[in-house]
Amino acid sequence: MNRPEDKDPLDVLLREQNPHIDDDGFTARVLTALPPRHRAWLRPTVLLGATAIGSALAIRWLPWESLSLPDLSALLSLNSQVLLPWLLVLSVMASLAWAAATAVQWED
Amino acid sequence: MSFTDTDLIARVLSREDQHAFGELVRRYQSPVRAFLARLARGDAHLADDLAQETFLKAWRKLHTYRGSARFSTWLFGIAYNEFRTVARQRKELALEDVEEPAAEPAKSAADSRSDLRLDLTEALKELHSSERAAIVLCCQNGLTHEEAALVLDCPHGTVKTNVLRGKEKLRRRLPDYQHYEST
Repeated sequence: MNRPEDKDPLDVLLREQNPHIDDDGFTARVLTALPPRHRAWLRPTVLLGATAIGSALAIRWLPWESLSLPDLSALLSLNSQVLLPWLLVLSVMASLAWAAATAVQWED
Repeated sequence: MSFTDTDLIARVLSREDQHAFGELVRRYQSPVRAFLARLARGDAHLADDLAQETFLKAWRKLHTYRGSARFSTWLFGIAYNEFRTVARQRKELALEDVEEPAAEPAKSAADSRSDLRLDLTEALKELHSSERAAIVLCCQNGLTHEEAALVLDCPHGTVKTNVLRGKEKLRRRLPDYQHYEST
């Protein structure tokens, strides 16, 4: 915590030399120039809504029936019939999770 | 009835109340404009343009004000950023020190006292802008070193050093300041 030294003439001089500036129409000029306030909630809400719709579509359309727990030999063989549905599901889920996290933490 | 800053900010955020924002502008226009005028080395037109931009930005970004610092500290921070943006584009506002002036012959005490106020204004202009900003915030506007560090976006030790260094330069440039007495 800093406190100017009352006995130092320089501090006294500096404090007394802090000018007060009359408003002189300044506030009115600022108020005239005010733009509509940006709705801070709008963009995260849109993103969250889009995420919800994306999740619903993903649940409806993703190839759940093709998903089976791959065994190690299938993974090592890089069988595309086993891996592709998983890659698709995981990438969609990761995108949705990222969008939801971004929407929740949104800050301009 | 007088509203606190917090009340006024809440009204702006919940109702987009321009009258409440106008009250905030009226409260803080003088310190913000004076701060910017010091930074702009006395260019009142530039200071007013920057101050207007400061309040417009405050209006747009008010929802990001968290209340952890005083509202005035938050405003000074916006103002300082506005100044820095312009200073990067305008060489006359560059941050370099002005050369130390040669010592003048001693004046009488009475002359010195009457000139001291003007001399201080001139001496402040000659400081490095980071020293000037630290002195104006801490010594003239009563911010703590921690608050000034928030405004200037630097460690509070740097603010302390800049205040000490700036005051030392002012002492050298204002040999008669010791005779100053509060009126």
